[in-house]
Order: sequence, then structure tokens, then C-alpha cells
Amino acid sequence: MTRFDTVEPILTARGVWKHFAGVQALENVELELWPGEVHVLMGSNGSGKSTLCRVIAGAVAPDRGELCLKGKAMEFADPAAARSAGIAVVYQETSLVGTLTVAENILLGGEPTRGGVFIDEQARRRQVSELIEAFGRSANMRAGIDAFIDDLAIDQRQLVEIMKVIAQRPEVIIFDEATASLDREEVSALFDLIRALRAQGKAIILISHRMEEVFGIGDRITVLRNGKTVASTLLAKTTRDEIIAHMVGASAHHQSGRRARPGNDQVVLRATNLRTTRVDNISLELHSGEILGLGGLQGQGQSDLLLSLFGAEAKAARSIELSGSLAKIHSPTDAIRYGLAYISGDRARAGAFGIRSIFENLVISSLVRRCQHFVRRRSAEASLRPILETLKVKFASVDQQIQSLSGGNQQKVLVSRWLATKPRILLLDDPTKGIDIPAKEDLYALLSELCSDGASVILYSSEDAELLANADRILVFNSGHVVKELKGEEMTEFNLYSAALAHA
Amino acid sequence: MSSITAVASGSKISVNLRRYPYWLAGAVFIALFSINVCLQPRFIEWGSIQSNLTTYLPLIILTTGQTYVVLGGSVDLSIGAIVSLVNVLGVRSIEYLGGSPTAILEGIGLSLAVGLGAGFLNGIAVGLLRLQPIVAMFATSIVFSGLALYVMPQAGGTLPDSYFQTYSGSILWLPVPLLILIVTLVATTLVSKSRFYTYLLATGGNGQAAFQTGLPIKTIRVQSHIIAGLAAAVASLCILGETGSGDPLLGPAFTLSTVSGVVLGGTALSGGFGSITGSVLGAATLGLINSLIFFSKLPYYLQPLVQGVILLAALAGGVFVSRKQ
Repeated sequence: MTRFDTVEPILTARGVWKHFAGVQALENVELELWPGEVHVLMGSNGSGKSTLCRVIAGAVAPDRGELCLKGKAMEFADPAAARSAGIAVVYQETSLVGTLTVAENILLGGEPTRGGVFIDEQARRRQVSELIEAFGRSANMRAGIDAFIDDLAIDQRQLVEIMKVIAQRPEVIIFDEATASLDREEVSALFDLIRALRAQGKAIILISHRMEEVFGIGDRITVLRNGKTVASTLLAKTTRDEIIAHMVGASAHHQSGRRARPGNDQVVLRATNLRTTRVDNISLELHSGEILGLGGLQGQGQSDLLLSLFGAEAKAARSIELSGSLAKIHSPTDAIRYGLAYISGDRARAGAFGIRSIFENLVISSLVRRCQHFVRRRSAEASLRPILETLKVKFASVDQQIQSLSGGNQQKVLVSRWLATKPRILLLDDPTKGIDIPAKEDLYALLSELCSDGASVILYSSEDAELLANADRILVFNSGHVVKELKGEEMTEFNLYSAALAHA
Repeated sequence: MSSITAVASGSKISVNLRRYPYWLAGAVFIALFSINVCLQPRFIEWGSIQSNLTTYLPLIILTTGQTYVVLGGSVDLSIGAIVSLVNVLGVRSIEYLGGSPTAILEGIGLSLAVGLGAGFLNGIAVGLLRLQPIVAMFATSIVFSGLALYVMPQAGGTLPDSYFQTYSGSILWLPVPLLILIVTLVATTLVSKSRFYTYLLATGGNGQAAFQTGLPIKTIRVQSHIIAGLAAAVASLCILGETGSGDPLLGPAFTLSTVSGVVLGGTALSGGFGSITGSVLGAATLGLINSLIFFSKLPYYLQPLVQGVILLAALAGGVFVSRKQ
């Protein structure tokens, strides 16, 4: 690793601060990037890794701080400016056009031309072939240059995206969780490609949550926690546990101070061999009065599990028993009539009908549950109002549009909607996303109350602290599998992290 | 090329449909052509081909123009109204300028400029103001139709004989309509080799990705509408070569025919995928369906019904084959 002593860093970030509405996303962050190194950025959800990358890529302007490229201070107006300065990002979601071919996509916007108007087809094919020979082959790129993107598998698309980035000849390449959608073999192929780039002296920033990968390819690591740089070191000089300790901080081994709920062994829901495109063969049991937590990094199949229990995943294979008898749930309508409720934190997509009134948003699921076709306004309102009051929803009139409420209040209306169906099982999909702390506390107090009345809850939260404080048991997800079940004294932040970061 | 092999995914049919989007349109065209020849052996005589070409040339040109708009992710529902507007303005301006050969050329120039301007207006509405194409062009089509009625409230006006004599005559032993078709095909071939065409496909196929890649998607959308406006003007001038007089109401019937021609030709209405060749075949297929009905000696009151059923079958067949992956 002596090469770090002999050359100048290609990119340095000094004292970078960034404040988003109500959140200090970056606080005095420092980063040094050297040519010919793979620099891993790690940190828990919301630690600021993505914000830092967006600052470097010109997508976000920092409030304060200095960004130097090859010793010169830079201020990027937009991603295009950063790109032409030599900084490129490989995003998880690709920027490819499905109806164009591999060659057309790789050089899109930078085609060799004749007279500036007509595309020089031969030159394009030659350039793309050379690029693929140099980098693609080692990364197991099988796609032909004339194949259409729509016909390619995800991993091949990812490689085309990387080729597209490399074609712009960047000096710094940021891989933002580029391995999240790849399997083990594909990851190792991608790493061969990254090694080839490193050998050419490119500087690479890699965001990854998989420890095995980090130690497999990284040269150095910078750990962020709550927007601050907490460690920056050579990977050869550190250990897995040390990194996790940096990520979770001092409180890692403290157990959460949650009071135990009275135990009850009655199984209200038993799902066996549940399989979807993103969940692989999961079986679980939910007990009466229990809050079952789903943990792990974001997007490991937790939401897919909840949606498939609710009948909203088309290609799901599963058998669900409710209170001991087989339940035929093929659609959300079936699920509602079996007494299930699904509440998502993604209100705009899966919950609120923005322009409709609070009343209409409230009554809608009850109608489905009771197979009602007409609304008796007065009686419906009489039964719904007390629920709004228990949840302390702040509103002027039930006829105002739901989108005129704050996020927390909207979420409370949606919770009220489902409580009105008197559900036996609540499926909560990151329900506190974007709502303020008092509203969160109200929601969890309510959950606790519902559970003592015999309802059961499956809770997925992207905030580990919330899971640890409220769940009775936690199933930790990784790549669509349950890799660990935590209960009682095992439920510490350290254990949760350790399980979440293990490779499935 | 190199040793890199293509990934064989999807069936042979779907791969071929991707590479040659007009494959199916060609098959339907040949089938209908054969049926026409069986029913009416004189169908393949030179005179008959020439008169059919003259009849369907405007639709072919319009459909070609519409294809660029559809490939870019929009749709021009005002294309027929532009035809009406150019039609009456062309007649009135040539009349006004005195009917001399110079006046005719000036009238043609003005017509092309009007078509271009109308397309530009549509492009501004969709590309820059980001209005919904269907609604925006529903509105502009009313404006264009209204202008056409204002210029010429009733069908009428006459063009000098030299105009339609030239159109029905020959240049370099080639009938003028055939010459216009050839020029159109050459122009579209050149366009499809340009950077613009790839950018158009990218914009229509995945506007977000095209934007992220740094393509000027607004300009590209505007340009595609300008092409459609120009195509409408050329088509309208061809129609004048046949009729010799103006009609403010003849255009709108073309609008949905161009859309179904585009779809018959294998171009996706969602944008980004398709071909001009397919659209030419699609428009010609619409013509073949018409002449098939005409020669079938069906009572007139059954003709629209049968025509609709054939069209539906052709469209459904295309959808069925392309979905069977």
C-alpha cells in the first residue's frame, strides 16, 4: 500500500456540511481519495453516505466545505459539470434506454459522427467492441453489442451501465450500492472489472453493506455515523467487529429498555414457504398480541414479505394459515376481509388519495371489509370520529383534502382508516417514514394498546432503534432470506447490525 | 464483429420483431396484396398501381410524419387539421398571387412554412410547456381547423391547370407521385442514420434516462413535431394535385388513420420503438384494405363494418404475435 505515500490524492473533501429540512445530513465530513484505490464508504441507513456521494457528483450543493479535484477547488453546478470534470456515478437504477441496443446506449450522446450529423456506425461498433474487450469480458459481459437492453438480464444491464460510464473516461468512479441486485458470482465478476479499473489508476468509491465484499476488494474504508466521519483507515489494519462498532457507536451493546409484554403462545398467522421474486422461502409464525419485527438493511425483502401476506404480490407462492385454518388470500380485498391491514410509510404511493377528503380516505377500507356499496355518512362519521380523536389527528374538517395535512397527520388518518376495519393483524411497512417524533410515539403507544387487546403486528422499520424499542422478536433479513432471529437479551443494536451485514 | 455472442432471450419471433419492427406489417401487406390481386387481376397493371399510389400517397406521407412524433413519445392529433389549413391556404395564396408558375412556387413555399409553423407550435406545447400531447393537440387541431374555415368557409377555389398537370405528369420518365414517394423514402433513410434519430428513440424510449445522459430532449420533441407539420404540408399539396380545389374539412379524417397506420407498422404508441418502413407499409396496408372493400362488391352499408373488422384483426394479430414471448 505504499502507493498512497507517493502520489497526491485525486479528490479531497474537507469540512463538508449539508443540512436538509430538519436534518443535519453531513457534519464536517472529511474524505481523501487516491488514484488506484478502492475506497469503501460504510455507514448505517441515513448516515450520510449517499449525500456525500451526491455532493461529490454535483447533484447536491454543500452548505459549507471544500471539494478539491487534483488539487484544484471545484464547485459543480450540476451532475453534467462533475461528469465533464471526470467524476462519474454508477447508480443502482440504470439510465439505459430499453428500446435501444447495447452499442447505442453505451455511446449515447457521444456518438462518433460524419460531419456532425450522421452517425459513423462502424466507428461506434469498433469503439464499443474495444471497450467491452478491455473491461466487459473480464466482468463476464455476455451481451452482444447489438442486443436490446430490454432483452438483457439485470446483471448484464448493470454492466452496460458501467461501460457507458467508463466510455466517458472518468478519473473517479462512484459505485452506489451497485452490487445490491447482483448474486455472488456476478459480484465477483464486477469486482474483476473494478480491479481492472484500479490497475489503470482510476479512483473508486464503493458503497456497500456486505462485509465480505468490503474486505474482498477494498483498500481503505471511511465510516460515517450520523453525518460525521468516525473512522478512516486501511482495511488491512481493521476488523469486521471494529467497523461495526464504529457504525453503531458507543451504545451498541446496551439492551433496549422495553418492558416485556405478557406472553401468549397462540399462533394467529402461520406462513410457510413464502416465495416471491425478492423473498426466498421464508416461513414465519405470528403469535397473538405480539409485535414481530422485521430488520436488516433496506430493501432486503421485508416489504415484499408484507405485501405478499396482504395478497398484493402477483407472483407469490405461499400458504397462509390464520388461527389454524387455511386462508385463501389472492388480493388485498381478500386480505381485508380476513381482517388484515397494511399500512405503508410510502403514503403517496400506497396509501393516501391526496385530493380526496379525510372522510373519504377514512371510510374506504371499511367499505371493502363489510362489502358495503353505499355510505351512510352520518353513522359512518359517528363511528370514525372517536378513532381520529384517540390518535389526536389535527384537522379543521373531515371534508378537507388529506394532502393539506402534515405527513404525520396524514399517516394518522391512514392508521385510523385501518383501525376502523377492526383488523386482527396489522402489517406495517416502515410506517413512521417522514413523520415527527411525537407522532411516532403516539403510533407506538397505540400499537402497544392494540396488542394488549389481542391484535398482532408485523412491523418493518428502517430505523433500528424503533424496532429494538417496540418489537418482541426480530427476524433479520438479508437478500430475501431470514438470516437470524433475535429475541430477549439478544436484541441489541450490535447483534442486529452484525446479522444484517452478514452475507446470506 | 467480435467473439461476443448475443444473449438469446425471448423467442425467435420477439427478437426478429425487435430488429425488424416492420416484419409483421410486411407480412400483412403481402397477404392483403395477394388477396387484392386474386380478386382483381388488373390490380397489378401499371395504370392501376399508379392510380392507387396517387390515392394513398398523402396518407403514406402523413403516417411517416406521425411516426417521428410517436417514436419521440408524443402523438400528433392535429395532423389532419394542419392538412386542412395548408390545403385552403395553398389554394387561396396561389389564387391571390395570380396563378403564374412563380405564384405556384411561392404558394408551395408558404404552405411548407405554415406546416412547419404549426408543427413548431405543437412542439412548443408538448416539449416546452409539457402539456399532455392528446389534450394539447386536441386544442391546436381546433385552432387549425378554425383558421382553415376562416380562410375558406366553404369548399371551393381553383388552382391553375399547370399545378395538377405537373402532379399527374412525369419528370425523367418517373410519374411525379412516385418521385415524391422516392424522395420521401430517401429523406427518411438519411434521417434514420442521423444522431437525431437515435436521440429521438432514446427520448421516446426512456425520457428520464435520455435527460440524465445529457440529451436535449425538449429540442428533440419540438423537432419531431416540426417534421410532422412539414409532412402534413407536403401531403396537403399532394391532395391539391389530385383535387385541384380547396376544402377546409377534408383533413381531420386522416388523423386517426395515421395513428392506426403507425401501429399497424409495428411502432409502439408508448414511444421509442418502431420504424418508418413499418409505417409506410402500415399506411399502404390501410390503402389495400380500402381497395379490397371497394372491389369486394359488398353493399355500401356493409363496407365500413367489414373494413373495421379487417383493421381490428390486423391490429390484434400484431399485438398477439408480439406479446407471445
